[in-house]
Amino acid sequence: MDPIRRSLLGQMARLSAGAAMVPLSSVASAGINDQPARREGDPNKRYGMLIDLRQCIGCQACTVSCHIENDAPLGNFRTIVSQLEVEQEGTGEVATFMLPRLCNHCDNPPCVPVCPVQATFQRQDGIVVVDNDRCVGCAYCVNACPYDARFINEKTQTADKCTFCAHRLEAGLLPACVESCVGGARIIGDMRDPQSEISRLMAEHHDELMVLQPEKGTLPQVFYLGMDERFTKRPEAEPGIWDVINEAGKELGYEFGH
Amino acid sequence: MSLVTEVVVPRYGIAWYPWAVQYFFLIALSYTSLWVAAPGIILGKQHWLATSRLALLACVSTTLVAPVALLADLHQPLRFWHFYAHPTPWSWMSIGSFLLPLHLAATLLLAWLAWRPALKTRAQAGDGWFSRIAGWIAWGDWQVSRKIMVLAGLAALATSVGMMVYTGAEVAIVKGRPLWHTVWLPFMFVATGTIGACGLILVLNRISGLRSPDTNRQMLAIMVGACVAAGFIALTWFLDGANAVSGSVAAALDSIDQSAAWRSTAIEGGIAGVLLAVLAFLARRTPGRRRAFGWMLGLLALHVAWMFRWVVLMNVQTVARNSAGFHDYHVAFGSYGLTGIIGIFGLWLTALLLIELLVPWREASLDPQRDAPPAAPISNASVSAASQGAPRHG
Repeated sequence: MDPIRRSLLGQMARLSAGAAMVPLSSVASAGINDQPARREGDPNKRYGMLIDLRQCIGCQACTVSCHIENDAPLGNFRTIVSQLEVEQEGTGEVATFMLPRLCNHCDNPPCVPVCPVQATFQRQDGIVVVDNDRCVGCAYCVNACPYDARFINEKTQTADKCTFCAHRLEAGLLPACVESCVGGARIIGDMRDPQSEISRLMAEHHDELMVLQPEKGTLPQVFYLGMDERFTKRPEAEPGIWDVINEAGKELGYEFGH
Repeated sequence: MSLVTEVVVPRYGIAWYPWAVQYFFLIALSYTSLWVAAPGIILGKQHWLATSRLALLACVSTTLVAPVALLADLHQPLRFWHFYAHPTPWSWMSIGSFLLPLHLAATLLLAWLAWRPALKTRAQAGDGWFSRIAGWIAWGDWQVSRKIMVLAGLAALATSVGMMVYTGAEVAIVKGRPLWHTVWLPFMFVATGTIGACGLILVLNRISGLRSPDTNRQMLAIMVGACVAAGFIALTWFLDGANAVSGSVAAALDSIDQSAAWRSTAIEGGIAGVLLAVLAFLARRTPGRRRAFGWMLGLLALHVAWMFRWVVLMNVQTVARNSAGFHDYHVAFGSYGLTGIIGIFGLWLTALLLIELLVPWREASLDPQRDAPPAAPISNASVSAASQGAPRHG
């Protein structure tokens, strides 16, 4: 069964089993590296994001607005749009593939159980957050995330990541990246609400949706529409931009102030 | 088919710094050298006594310094108490944070009990401040039975097994780094750790002036065994990959295929490992060769154990996960890089010298109730002469 179906079935099972099962499942989680119980957040919601790649023009408005909203240090990004130039070998035709990346707020987040002080945790609404008053900066979660969605923030010296702009959601606003997307490519919403736009779109495009690195078993909750399966894994590509190095090995290109 | 070129991609730094290499290196030496000390100190084998004394010195010095390196790898070192304020039994790192102080306490207790008779003797020797400090460290003239010491030894062995399991599992469970995610990595940590511990003891045997022929023979024999074990582990890992059981082999082959740096690392690592095994096998055959080449092989063994951890922990972090190619990583000069690496080695040397200065570790005793031999002078020449005749222990 593919991860998206499994994830959807899991969501449905949780809905039908009802809230009574939640405390029971939290008691049962005791094994090493198992997911701990979720805490905080609205247990009746499950936030997810659908990214319609057909609408993305690669303008990086999301990257910039997120950077400003969340005050990330220069050179670190909670979200970014990877851009890849794809050349048809036979014809030489060139197209650009845009791939917005952010935390997948996985249903089985590998970053959460590794945290030695429970500073990073998953809220009951599915959002994975970091309590950076508690975080010791061991960076275990940074290594555990297969999506490179986490980094150590040099200002706070703690783990940092996308929170789906939880502070804005709670104020009834959209995340900065969603708000600023000129093509309306990013859709966020409560996947447990069958009337929400994301639920409607997911039902409509159910068989076309893909997630990144599904084979890792992380059950990502950021779904891509209009995705080419080859880009769900590490791209088999020429690294372009970091080849800007002179004979002495000194980089001539853009430095992010390191 | 199509050609893909990456145009915009962020730069991802490494998350664990060379401090982590130092910690994994020192802690592996710590638990493996405790095992090497066990036959003499814990099981009471007389012919293993010289080796056990050296191994105990290796164990205590590495166990003291390893936690410093670990603490330094935290970006918020002063928050270390959060580990104990928020125990997290499902996280291997949290389990380790509880095991590490236990391991430190158990090994220090064992070494203290083994060193106490000699410390008490030195305290009586009227050697000024050295005697006074020896008296403080001995902490009274009371005696414990050998049974207590064996119990302390068994406790230390138990925590050392815990350290072995947790350090291996902590890295091997990380699915996000395919090269780490293999069951064979923890075994390789143990095999290369054993190689390193034997190497360290050979080097200490030479520079301490003990020059025990038993130690040279025993350590080279174990080292050859550990090299063979490492070879089999590497082969099994590779066969797992060939049978598509492990994605870690595919990831390794990809890296070697795509990167000249990885190719040279693989060749250098392979040559160093094979060279060590062959030379150790050749050198162990006659006492003359063991005496002449033992410490040099020891240095090579330490190099192999350290480089293995450098490649696994640092180089693997440069393999991109969501972009093409490899991330640039250069060892910085400051405390996140070179200064940190040298600093930890310096601290280790300091620990060794302090023990050398203040503790008569050469007379470590199997039985804390027996009288210790007279305190040996501290100068190298006389100590090496004295130690040839093995102190009295019954």
